[in-house]
Amino acid sequence: MSFQQKNVTVSLVNFSLILGFYLLRVTYLVRTENFTLDKIIWVWIIIAIMAVVVTIVGTILTHIISTIIEVIKTGNEDPQIEDIQDERDELIDLKGTRVTNTVYSFSVLLAMLTFALGQPALVMFTLLILCGIIAQIAGDIFRLRLYRKGF
Amino acid sequence: MGKSQINNNIRTLRFFNDEMTQKELAEKVGVTRQTIIALEQQKYSPSLELAFRIAHAFGVPLEEVFTYDAKIEENK
Repeated sequence: MSFQQKNVTVSLVNFSLILGFYLLRVTYLVRTENFTLDKIIWVWIIIAIMAVVVTIVGTILTHIISTIIEVIKTGNEDPQIEDIQDERDELIDLKGTRVTNTVYSFSVLLAMLTFALGQPALVMFTLLILCGIIAQIAGDIFRLRLYRKGF
Repeated sequence: MGKSQINNNIRTLRFFNDEMTQKELAEKVGVTRQTIIALEQQKYSPSLELAFRIAHAFGVPLEEVFTYDAKIEENK
């Protein structure tokens, strides 16, 4: 597994966890009839922080763990980690981003449709955030699929 | 993703260059080993620049490394 592939896997796990957390929190707020702007806005802030911090920490940890595994495998104390991004990685990344954008475009239409059908704006924004996470996961899955197939 | 129309002899050329490893070739041309694997399995067509770098790494002209298979396009 290449370094870029590991990064995509970390991103996929990260956003899957964020999706789980978001769904649990929103479900809890709806059930307890606390689905208000001042409550949901904190969930959005936590999601944004998690998306940034966990991704950075995950990437650093991937690098450290890869180095440790390489040292154990080769016995070389100064291992060469293949962390370059070549043209194939860039193409895979672009194709993944295209999937993310396509999924998110449809999601925006869906979210706006709920607003047009008379649902409150809060529902629309909650759906927009949810669809953003799902779109990211879809893009990561597509990237991993391309990596597994070769291209 | 179907088979690429661009065929290559990278595996053979590596063999005739002191059994150069995929990692060594990847380092010479500045890509990852996974890209060399994808190239050898004809799953990925390289950019023109990478194709020239690979030919340069083996010290042969481009057409000795890569060939274009027009039959695949005609059969579509």
